[in-house]
Amino acid sequence: MLQFFYFHLMPWPHLPPDFDRTEASAWVTLSNRFYDPQRGHELYNEYLDELEHAEELGFDGLAVNEHHQNAYGTMPSPNLMAAALARRTRRAKIAILGNAIPLHDHPLRVAEEVAMLDVLSGGRIISGFVRGIGCEYLSLGVNPAHSRERFYEAHDLIVRAWTEPGPFPFEGKHYRFRYVNVWPRPLQQPHPPIWIPSQGSTETIRWGAQHRYPFVSVFNSYALTKRWIEEYKDAARACGYEAPPAQIGFALPIYVAESDSQAVQEAEPHFLWLFRRGLKMPPSYLLPPGYITEESLRKFLAAGVRLPSDLSYAELLDRGYVLAGSPTTVTNHLLSIHKELGVGIFIYSGRTGDMPKDKAWKSMELFAYEVMPQLRRLTGSAVAPPTSARSRGSCP
Amino acid sequence: MPWRSETLRVGDMDVHLLRGGRGEPLLVLHPEFASSRWFPYHDDLAQHFHVYAPDHPGFGQTPCPHWLESIEDFAIFYADLMDHLGWSCVNVLGLSFGGWIAAELAALFPERVRGLVLVGAGGLRVEGEQRFDLFARPFEETLQHLFFAPDRWLQLLPTEPARDVILRTYREATTLARVSWNPYFYDPKLERRLRRVRCPTLVVWGKEDRFLSPAHGVAYANAIPHSKLELVADCGHLPPLECRETFIALVLPFLQG
Repeated sequence: MLQFFYFHLMPWPHLPPDFDRTEASAWVTLSNRFYDPQRGHELYNEYLDELEHAEELGFDGLAVNEHHQNAYGTMPSPNLMAAALARRTRRAKIAILGNAIPLHDHPLRVAEEVAMLDVLSGGRIISGFVRGIGCEYLSLGVNPAHSRERFYEAHDLIVRAWTEPGPFPFEGKHYRFRYVNVWPRPLQQPHPPIWIPSQGSTETIRWGAQHRYPFVSVFNSYALTKRWIEEYKDAARACGYEAPPAQIGFALPIYVAESDSQAVQEAEPHFLWLFRRGLKMPPSYLLPPGYITEESLRKFLAAGVRLPSDLSYAELLDRGYVLAGSPTTVTNHLLSIHKELGVGIFIYSGRTGDMPKDKAWKSMELFAYEVMPQLRRLTGSAVAPPTSARSRGSCP
Repeated sequence: MPWRSETLRVGDMDVHLLRGGRGEPLLVLHPEFASSRWFPYHDDLAQHFHVYAPDHPGFGQTPCPHWLESIEDFAIFYADLMDHLGWSCVNVLGLSFGGWIAAELAALFPERVRGLVLVGAGGLRVEGEQRFDLFARPFEETLQHLFFAPDRWLQLLPTEPARDVILRTYREATTLARVSWNPYFYDPKLERRLRRVRCPTLVVWGKEDRFLSPAHGVAYANAIPHSKLELVADCGHLPPLECRETFIALVLPFLQG
């Protein structure tokens, strides 16, 4: 059973013309004077149109995420976008990938908002939890050396707040509440599914497997994704079970066009925008002190993990950080990922970087009409219930 | 001057330290960039004192204990180390982060510090003064910012294999972040507590310090009752490493006086 999600980062494409030369990063220090609220208004609405259209096209779910003070993804509150989607969609799951819980001093606020969304959407919420990327610890002043402790603690608090009758006290190291008593409670029981998007740190992988939370490899190469998934499967076996495809996800930028060469050519500037500009950051932003453990750092050094911005377009394509091709090529590639890695959740990251609307819509429609049904057929997966496909969805 | 490396068991911790010289003990607390290193200024001091230069918890070869969460924990750790060594009262000299620890130690345990030398010490914030964000900058750029003369930073370049350097500097930066990410490199309570320091105090600052401006040295001198500020001309953040002779000429008479 394959599931397809349409994922939007909601990037800010209008970087200053001399960005490559003058700016260290699209994060932390890139001045918000480069953000134009009027253009932002148009973009937010276009981006939400795309997510809504993805439901009409038969995607199983729509995905949003949280990022702060940057041009890579202008969605500091994914819950707000999930709320907008909850009222404009009827069927699709809404995956928040995720709330960056250690960044919040008040995890109960996250518990409340996700419960609200679950009730509002009729139980369509998938609640991803992430730690936030390194840059965000600089931007929000949260101590990266506490990131992991806060992640676990906030997670425990939120799950208890969703599942245990309140009020009850919670005494952690970073969070303490005398009266935990979240209203509303979530609609899905015992709570909305929790997913763990990750860059592959060892501790997160093991912890996710222990909790049977689906693991989603985000914007990694094929080889690294394979390694992290194998680690996850091993950790699952150590817990006495085999991780099914429904528990393994892969999020990557995908672009589909009429032919391979056309797809590769048309996607190039936008994929490069994502990696060269959106993800441009010095190591000190990527891995502030304590953000990862020494064990993970050792593993990354041994695996030769490189800064995404150092990769050429050919490397991005060859190593599978991105996927561009004809419907047949993309189908075959994803099928092999499914077969070789046991991936059951494909997260199509659309409208990458500064991609114009027409390309984004062409690609998502080709993916929905020609790739998804093929993959479902080849893997014997059920088709998503029909909706008013194409009612509003013709390519503008 | 011969020196040796040894590990002491202090409470639940294995503490690595370098020591050499003879005479009265002098506790030298290293800056955040140079653990486990014996420099020429150590030699100069060891002509007159028995120099003890421990690696702070979470730096060099001393592991980071799980309970280490605030700058006071460092100060209390050093009081424990003094107990272990049988010192009731000792001269303390600290550089940068080590200076911050020394200041906290003297404020929390004034009866245990005989003489205090603070060199480019962290720990205070001065309104309106820009501070270099070492957490946001590449390691080499940080090292370059520590010195006035262009090539002097090279003496701090680590000599281990590249991968070991990355792992050690990340581990040490993590220790530093645990206690000084936010508030960044200062303790809001320290300035008031410095009134408690009883011993004579020498504050030494490079006039051209681009890492922590001399205004911070002025703030220390203002906050500590029996203190004197010495500014070193044409010198950056670490006078013992950049202007050693001038530094020694200031410090020896103070400690021996």
